[in-house]
Amino acid sequence: MLIAEEKWFKFKNIFRISASLAKANFALRMEGSYLGIFWYLLNPLALFFIILFIKKSAFSNVHIAYYPVYLLMGITSLNFFRQTISNSIQAIASNVDYIKSMNNVAPEVLVVSVVFQAVFSHVFEFILIAGFVIYWQLPLIGLLIYPFLFALFVLSVLGIAFIFATIGVYVNDLDNLWNIFAQLLFLATPIYFLVTPGSAVYLANLFNPLFYFLEISRSLVIYSTIPPLWMILTMVIFSGGFFIIGLTVFNKYKKKFAELV
Amino acid sequence: MENQPTATTKIFIDRVSKQFNIGFKKNDNALARALSWLSGKESHKLLPVLKDISLTASDGENIGLIGRNGSGKSTLLRLIAGIYQIDAGSLVTKGEIIYLNGFGFGLRDRLTMRENIYLVGLLMGASRKEIDDRFQEIVEFSELGNFVDTKVYQFSSGMLSRLRFSITFHCLKHKKADIILLDEVFSAGGDLAFQNKALLKMEDFFRSGATVILVSHNLNLIERYCHRAILLEKGKILHDGEPPAVIKTYQDLINKTVNVSL
Repeated sequence: MLIAEEKWFKFKNIFRISASLAKANFALRMEGSYLGIFWYLLNPLALFFIILFIKKSAFSNVHIAYYPVYLLMGITSLNFFRQTISNSIQAIASNVDYIKSMNNVAPEVLVVSVVFQAVFSHVFEFILIAGFVIYWQLPLIGLLIYPFLFALFVLSVLGIAFIFATIGVYVNDLDNLWNIFAQLLFLATPIYFLVTPGSAVYLANLFNPLFYFLEISRSLVIYSTIPPLWMILTMVIFSGGFFIIGLTVFNKYKKKFAELV
Repeated sequence: MENQPTATTKIFIDRVSKQFNIGFKKNDNALARALSWLSGKESHKLLPVLKDISLTASDGENIGLIGRNGSGKSTLLRLIAGIYQIDAGSLVTKGEIIYLNGFGFGLRDRLTMRENIYLVGLLMGASRKEIDDRFQEIVEFSELGNFVDTKVYQFSSGMLSRLRFSITFHCLKHKKADIILLDEVFSAGGDLAFQNKALLKMEDFFRSGATVILVSHNLNLIERYCHRAILLEKGKILHDGEPPAVIKTYQDLINKTVNVSL
């Protein structure tokens, strides 16, 4: 009982400090100005308009219903995933003070705060998605389910972030490798195109957590259809699996961090 | 040297050794790391920092840790704090530990003083309510009441030092720690008047009843506040005893080194 209480207290503490750190970093990014939000959204919006333009000019024969919403959901989800992992790589190495000069900041805080910060930013992307849903007069019920689905996705991203943060302590140029991988992810995941079941791209995507989140969230938000049960179950297993593996790897190596950074 | 901890022992260290793999940083890019892993020839240039250290510290004891740069003082404190892991021997601590290494962490330049107080306070383990209760005290002690909503990048270095000290001290002093580890924290910065004021505040730690280990190059402080002093030299305990005697050994060691180099 005592151990469970201690663990619960530690969990609450990590959650509380991570949220505060993320809030501070978010405020720093925004510099107290609403223009900051605009700058944050500019990147995915620019990509959105470029792809939309290319699609209309070069691939007008390919029909995807409610394509702007489809595309925006793809880009914002990828943006969330890419930014979280990219920031998690340096989460430990760039916070040497917290690791070496204090004994009361759990290293987990530094990774969880990175994820929280990305979640705060995603709220604005979600508002944008909601705006599109309203504009295209799609049912709003999907938007109500979206946060729960997103929470599940966050769990898997957190697990992956733990793994990347750990490797980032040992390898100083991991972000270069991640940038290349992120490009591949952008090209391989159905962000801006439809994927046909049975194709090679489809099979490759069966190992991609982003794919499940996109397929399920688009089914619910845009097309108001219930996604296949196997897909929902796989997403749940992936989320839990990535989280547990990530946390296990992180816990195994975290005691060495202070000596390596 | 006692071989077993007693009921009043707060820190028990028995034949502890620590070494660092300083060859690690040579191969820290992905390609080099992959190649060294594949070839099975990972770089292992080991630097022994602490060798066969044994000591015990009892409840309420104030211990000064002195020695030249690189003698292993900070490493020993980090081992006790659980920041580093021991390589050999055994190390047991009892109760909650506060480890403080300077006051130079946590402040974010582009946040206001108010925002920084809450952020650093939370990082130091205080709850929001506790920071609310101490907020006024922190501001008053730092003497920066007119700058509460100013971003700290506009502060002078003296103002920053005052703010750092004030937040750290007020967030930690209410914690009921059993072991307090202070690594070169007595240069609080600020002007002479603030340094004296900060020093008086720091005395609270020594009177708290906790076991305190103080690392400092200020030998007067060691003599004034510590019941016992330990001299570390090249990762080994050279002298453990009454502060005046240990300080004398240290000064002789320094003089000997200076004479040899002259």
